[in-house]
Formats: sequence, C-alpha cells, structure tokens
Amino acid sequence: MSFEDLQKTWQSHNPGATVTLDADLLLKEVRRNQHHFWSMIFWRDAREVGVCFLMALFFVYCAARTHDWTPYLIVLACCAVGGFMIVDRVLERRKQPVLNEALKDCIESSLRQVNHQIWLLRNVLWWYLSPFAAGLGISGAIAMWRARHAGLAVTSLAVYLLVLAVIYWGIYQLNQYAVRKTLEPRRQELQDLVAGLEQN
Amino acid sequence: MTAQEQEAIFRRWLAGHLGLLLKVVRGCAASPQDQDDLFQDVLLQLWSSIPAFRGEAKETTWIYRVAFNTALAWRRVERRRREGQERLLQFEVSPRVEPSHVESLAERDLVERLYAAIRQLPKPDASLALMHLDGVSYQEMAEVLGISENYIGVKLNRIRKRLAEQLKGVIHEL
Repeated sequence: MSFEDLQKTWQSHNPGATVTLDADLLLKEVRRNQHHFWSMIFWRDAREVGVCFLMALFFVYCAARTHDWTPYLIVLACCAVGGFMIVDRVLERRKQPVLNEALKDCIESSLRQVNHQIWLLRNVLWWYLSPFAAGLGISGAIAMWRARHAGLAVTSLAVYLLVLAVIYWGIYQLNQYAVRKTLEPRRQELQDLVAGLEQN
Repeated sequence: MTAQEQEAIFRRWLAGHLGLLLKVVRGCAASPQDQDDLFQDVLLQLWSSIPAFRGEAKETTWIYRVAFNTALAWRRVERRRREGQERLLQFEVSPRVEPSHVESLAERDLVERLYAAIRQLPKPDASLALMHLDGVSYQEMAEVLGISENYIGVKLNRIRKRLAEQLKGVIHEL
C-alpha cells in the first residue's frame, strides 16, 4: 500500500459515523465548564491575596486597640506580600499562553510560565517568608523585650524564633518539593516538546 | 461579540469540523474516557478562542492550533473528571452501518492500527502525522506548528518511516 492509498483510506474513514453527540448538551457542558474554570481561578487568587488582606486588617485592629506601633510591621509585611502577588498575577496573566498561537509559540509561552513558577517557589524565602519573618520577628522581639524579667524575655524570644524558624523551614521545603515533584518534570516535558519541534 | 454570535460560530465549526476534532482527539488519547475528557477540553478552549478569531488565519488552521495546543497541555494524570458530568461522546462502533458509509473491516482495522501508531509518536510528530494524513498543505502545517516549511518535509519523511515500521505487515511501503 502506498502513502496515497493510506491517505485515501484515512480520509474516507468517517469518525463521525461512530459518534453520537448532543449539540445542546455539549454547549451546556462547555458553558458550565468555562464558568467553573474562571470561578476556580478567581477563588484561588482571592484566597491567596485575601489571607494577606485579612491578616493586615487583624493587625491594624491589634495596633489600634493596644496603641502600639509594632503590629504595623506585620501589616507592612502583609501589604508587601499581597501587593507582590497581585502585581505578579497581573503581569503573568498578560503573558499567558494563547491556545490559538502556533504550537511552538504556545509551548514556549508555557515553558516561560513554568520557569517563572519555579523562580517564584525557589525564591519564596525572599518574597514571602522574609517579609513575614521580619515583621513577626521584630514585633515579637520588641514585645518580649518590654517584658519585666529579662531572663524570661530572652528565653521566650529564643523559643519564639525557633518555632518561627521551624515553621518557615517546613514551608520552604514544601515549596522546593513542589518544584522537584511537579514543575521540573513539566519543564523537562516542555523542553522536550520544543526540541522535538526544532529537531531536523 | 455577542453570546449568540459566539454560539453560532461554535455550532458552525462543530458541524463543519467535527471529524477533524475527533481525529485529533483519537490520535492523542487512547481510552474512551480519556478521549471524552480531552474532547471536552478541546471544545472548551475552542469556545473560549472564538472572540479572538478575526479571520486572519484559516478556520482549519485556527481549529488545529487550538486542538493540538490543548492536547499538548492535556495530561492523563491531571485529568479532572467533573462531578455529575454526562458523557458527551460515544465512540463505540455502531452495530448498524449505513450502506453509503460502508468501510470494510480491513480498512477499519487499518485505521485503528494507524491511530495506535500515531499515539506512539512524540506529540509534535503525532500532530504532523494527523495533518499529513488529512492532506493538509505544508504551508498550513508550518503555520499550525510555527516552524519552517523546510523542516516539515524532513520531519514527515521520518514520521512516515516510523509509521511504516509500526504498521509492518499491514502496509508495505510508505
């Protein structure tokens, strides 16, 4: 059989003959799925930024109630992290892969997006953990320094910083695990696809 | 673009290019469940892409791009079966075959083997194989994939060889 014969067989084969499709049901499902997709994206973003916003409100309330300036350090950290998330999300949304682009362009956009995600998680220490650590650490230290018993204050501060460090170490390791487990294999997969397209 | 216009275009594309979409889906996913899942994703992306369609690219080029890009991004391990979702597709072979659509069993078997062989190819090569079998021009293939026409010819030669190896005994020369 020649390739032309194979093409003829392929083209005369009608996959529609074996398929039953309800167009109205299909349209309903497509609309439902699209709604589901956008609400999922919206609530994911709202959850991440919302936590920062609620924490900021809580510490503003604490500062106002106690007439103390130290909680504002945490408010500042919340605003910095929340602001960074919003700016990053807005910038990234503009660069999202468009599925009507040529395959190579679309894969390269996805690759750039995965690289950005890896960069974010690898640097989570600087843009997420450090601002909170600084805010919580300094305000905690000042609060304990104000305590009357110096020895108790130092001990409490040491325990507080140790607990903070353990929690942050856990969060950092969790992020690095996500990079190794999910993002790096995905990056490799996309790099292979680009290489497959470029290979002559 | 109004919702009615979007729906009209979607229905027109579906009526005109359902065969193309099904071939892409069957060329990229093996089991009926996976095909159903991928088909839904492709339709969802196609629906979402309509407002951006300005007629600058051919309809088939656009539809191929959306379908292949969705298939490339789609992964079995991450597929999400939606709660309460109804199966939209039935791929089972119909017991009654209309005389006007008679395909010999041998031809049907050949096509099934061809789908299986295409699924063994790397995804970009599978995309090329599907378009090549559908008789798409080199220029359109280059536009869909975003690579030069020169590459297309070289790649197709290699793909034909691989398909011939996988279909050894069924076909003798590609």
